[in-house]
Amino acid sequence: MNEALKNGEVFSLYGLVLSYFFSMLGYWVWLALKKEWFGRLATVLAILGLTANTVAIILRTIIAQRPPLSNAYEFILTFCWGIVAVYLFTEFKYKLKALGSFVFPIVILLLGFVILKMGPQDRVAQAIPPALKSQWLTIHVLTAMLAYGAFAISFGLGIMYLLKDRPNKGIIVRFPSTLVLDEIAYKVVGFAFPMLTLVILTGAVWANYAWGTYWSWDPKETWSLITWIIYAGYLHARLMYGWQGKRAAWLAVLGFLAVLFTFFGVNYFLPGLHSYAS
Amino acid sequence: MPHSDEGIIDKLWNLFSSMKTGLFLLGVIAVSAGVGTLIPQAHLYTSVWFEFLLGLLCINLVVCSVQRFGGVYQKTFKPSLPANAAEVPAKIQVQLSGEKQGLQASILKVLRQHGYRITQNADSGAWRFLAQKKRWGNWGSFITHIAFVILIAGALLGSIAGFKGFLSAGIGSTVPIQKINLTKGQISENFAIKINAAEDRILPNGERDNWYTDLSVLENGQEVVRRTLSVNHPFSYHGVTFYQAQFSQGAKFDVDYKGQHMPAVLQNRGENYFQAPGTDLYLIVAAMKTDPQDLIVLYQVYKGNAPEPVKTAQLKMGETANIENAYTLKFEGLVPITGLQVKKDPGVGIVWLGSFLLLLGLLLSFYWRPLMLTGVWDEEQSLVVIGAAAGKRSSKAQEDLNSLSLTIKAEYALPKGEE
Ligand code: HEM
Repeated sequence: MNEALKNGEVFSLYGLVLSYFFSMLGYWVWLALKKEWFGRLATVLAILGLTANTVAIILRTIIAQRPPLSNAYEFILTFCWGIVAVYLFTEFKYKLKALGSFVFPIVILLLGFVILKMGPQDRVAQAIPPALKSQWLTIHVLTAMLAYGAFAISFGLGIMYLLKDRPNKGIIVRFPSTLVLDEIAYKVVGFAFPMLTLVILTGAVWANYAWGTYWSWDPKETWSLITWIIYAGYLHARLMYGWQGKRAAWLAVLGFLAVLFTFFGVNYFLPGLHSYAS
Repeated sequence: MPHSDEGIIDKLWNLFSSMKTGLFLLGVIAVSAGVGTLIPQAHLYTSVWFEFLLGLLCINLVVCSVQRFGGVYQKTFKPSLPANAAEVPAKIQVQLSGEKQGLQASILKVLRQHGYRITQNADSGAWRFLAQKKRWGNWGSFITHIAFVILIAGALLGSIAGFKGFLSAGIGSTVPIQKINLTKGQISENFAIKINAAEDRILPNGERDNWYTDLSVLENGQEVVRRTLSVNHPFSYHGVTFYQAQFSQGAKFDVDYKGQHMPAVLQNRGENYFQAPGTDLYLIVAAMKTDPQDLIVLYQVYKGNAPEPVKTAQLKMGETANIENAYTLKFEGLVPITGLQVKKDPGVGIVWLGSFLLLLGLLLSFYWRPLMLTGVWDEEQSLVVIGAAAGKRSSKAQEDLNSLSLTIKAEYALPKGEE
């Protein structure tokens, strides 16, 4: 029974990697050749990949009997899920296929890390220490998935903005106007910022149950706060100085780099409480 | 003189009511926090100047909020009607022509059906109205900013008035709360903790379930509460909270001091010591091997303040040793030692209140955008001009208004008396 589940999980992993990879190629070809057919294929593959991703997460949860929150492999699975889910929502809501060309490379880079840097032994479901057995962590992970996913989308939109904000030529002509890109990015950050706040606060509630300290300035906490401040800066600057547009786009890019550093850099470069996660 | 004073106060007020200042402070805080993670030894976050920055930010937020309170209040509860058609927002606008009474009735009906609150004025024959929806959304950023200040205040209170310490003890021992190792603050409480039992529970599949400590609180030697706590399930007594933090094995000895037997529980690596009464000999356990088949402790005896031990030797389970002809020591086996974080934080409730309000404010800001329509009857052209305040939404606002106006037109066109 357990073996079957494990095989199912590995199968889903390969399924989602292949689907996302060919989906990325589809979005690129669509953007380059303007063949509608490729665009549709890319979207179908993205949906397929998201389905496999969902199955992989559910199987992992059943196998490990806990939410997927104990190692980098599990984090990347949920991170990718968040990115693709928010991406598909954005594509359908704003009819924005061109964004796929910029979002899927992030997904593929994350998964490339799993494929290239992690052997099967790094992917097995490990026992978690008692401190990680908390309902608050479930909400912590769920909200992180959506917040980080949405920030990846605003990053993609920021890149598109910066490319578009120049004399139009080539495939860039197919992007929506800078005005539209800016507004969608703002909406996405407006969704993600309260989520990120919830991520940080549920983490604090959990830490308070586990150690009696809701905030201990460990590097992961500190970097999540820095990320939070960058996006707070984005929201304000945009609101007040007419920092809409280019500078806001740069902040969206910077913010996502901070997200990635919080996610990877802290685990691999800096010591701290969250280092069990690496 | 008072003149130049006012000048300075005005300048300060302007400085602190500026969002530029706020963003600058936030930026400095972010950068220094980042630097702090690269140089972990710097104790940056508890340094005075870091607290000073946070203090400035709070002043900034309070000044900003005070300044904006009136505006937000008025916008929510006492919005002013447009004086004439020129005051209706022109950017997002529709015009509906028709006969006054019927149009007015249709507009009111449709807007009310859509959940708008309506304020209107019809004196001197001119009809003017204002329709609001989700008006509490106006308070989003105000609540967010105040919440942040509340959160910081709670954290500050906790760091001033609370304490933090660590208690580690073997089964059967009683520790007065005043005796625990403090890392911060002072203890005014006066009860004692008795460790009744402690367990490292392993699940059938070999994974660790949790660490459990069964403890009692003693007031003047009398048990008043008894509780079992585990990791993630702390226990509080009179504002002092105990968290299961560590679990280890200690060595249990029987000390025979001139025919008098007394127990001693020592933790590994010299975490604690035993001093036999009337001697200046200090016994510690420097290392131990916890293989159940082959239990061994390496103990050391220090005399007075001498830096070097006077004796270093091993004992197997059940063996006895003579310690400097002062007493004999028998190694009886291992006992669990539970490590509890002990904390009093009177600010934590305020921190949670601030957190809750912060979330509430953000939800209002981003998921509860207020909508405001204003309209004026234009007698000359026999039409109603309706405009929407743009707020932070722009491209969709015109669409929404158009679809609303279609509904109103349909309502207006409906033959009356058939409803
Ligand atoms: C501590 C971090 C802060 C957070 C989390 C925060 C959050 C927010 C949010 C969510 C908004 C609404 C943005 C929107 O609707 O797009 C906002 C608006 C605003 N904030 Fe902050 N803020 C912070 C610090 C500050 C500071 C230090 C100042 C300056 C005193 C400030 C002044 C303002 C102003 C003036 C607005 C405009 C409100 C409006 O036009 O509706 N904020 N803030």
